[in-house]
Amino acid sequence: MKLVIDESRCKGCNLCVLVCPYGIFAEGTELNSRGIVSPVLDRPERCTNCRLQALYGRMLCGVCRMICPDQAIAWVEERPFEPHRVEVEF
Amino acid sequence: MSASEWFREDRLPHIYCTGCGNGTVINCTLAAVEEMGWKRDETVFVSGIGCSSRAPGYILTDSLHTTHGRALAFATGVKMARPEFNVVVFTGDGDLAAIGGNHFIHACRRNVDMTVVCMNNQIYGMTGGQGSPTTPPGAISTTTPYGASEPAFDLAELAVAAGANYVARWTSYHVKELTKAVTTGMQTPGLAFVEVRTQCPTNYGRHNKLRTVPAMIEHIRSHAMLVEKYNRLTAEGKPIPEGTFTVGELVRRSRPAMGVRR
Repeated sequence: MKLVIDESRCKGCNLCVLVCPYGIFAEGTELNSRGIVSPVLDRPERCTNCRLQALYGRMLCGVCRMICPDQAIAWVEERPFEPHRVEVEF
Repeated sequence: MSASEWFREDRLPHIYCTGCGNGTVINCTLAAVEEMGWKRDETVFVSGIGCSSRAPGYILTDSLHTTHGRALAFATGVKMARPEFNVVVFTGDGDLAAIGGNHFIHACRRNVDMTVVCMNNQIYGMTGGQGSPTTPPGAISTTTPYGASEPAFDLAELAVAAGANYVARWTSYHVKELTKAVTTGMQTPGLAFVEVRTQCPTNYGRHNKLRTVPAMIEHIRSHAMLVEKYNRLTAEGKPIPEGTFTVGELVRRSRPAMGVRR
């Protein structure tokens, strides 16, 4: 699973920056094509939902998706053999 | 089925302003509906007029977008005609407390079996920021440019006094608790009233030095106090900070309800 922000829905309210317990979201700096500064992801592979959602079979934290007023945050399956980083926490 | 499948994807993104709390409340309500396992063709969303009342337009079920303040009257009609339907009412503070106040207290008195989610943003957001019955004293709005001078309406306490079976209040910051409260309200027979304090950065925050969304959320979060703590402080005679409101489950009881399937 990977965390994605739907740029076509995000309005740049930065509520996800406020609530994420891992500090994955950070305030963006560049305008996108709709003229909106949407947040950027800082090492999203740390997200507990990305790592363990498939293992547990349920939504684990999901506060950013719940609080996002624009329904812009989602977890999607990676394509087969898509390169991705693995973060190991000790 | 997940909660995102209840959205009309072709209608999104919705028209709410940046950082409006109504989208969060829709998320939480749909998560609660998902938890209840309701079928899509047995669920009806009813709303009146206002920002909050545009919510059923983004949900993929049958819905009623009714006249100003009369959402509860229409919802009562739906429930009486088809008692097997699950009725959820989205309403705002101006819709519910100002023009629909009488419908509200009588729906609570009759204890009609439905769930009322009130998105209380303390202002008339859609029409340009006029003062509503829940605008706190001292707050600046378009119609109260020197600060509101009247005391504000406490909707949850009104519902408790009028006789609703389940009354809770949360804010749009407390998403998990809000989802749990809405779920409990849907499980309770009789009228369940969940008041949600939402942020309105555009029309409330802009005039009250809370221009950014995080500032507005922080203001709401820091002024919320759990009802247990409030009761404890009151019993000990300690002072309650100015401007705080209680959050949590205010009442759960089993008065005889109307429109419940037997």
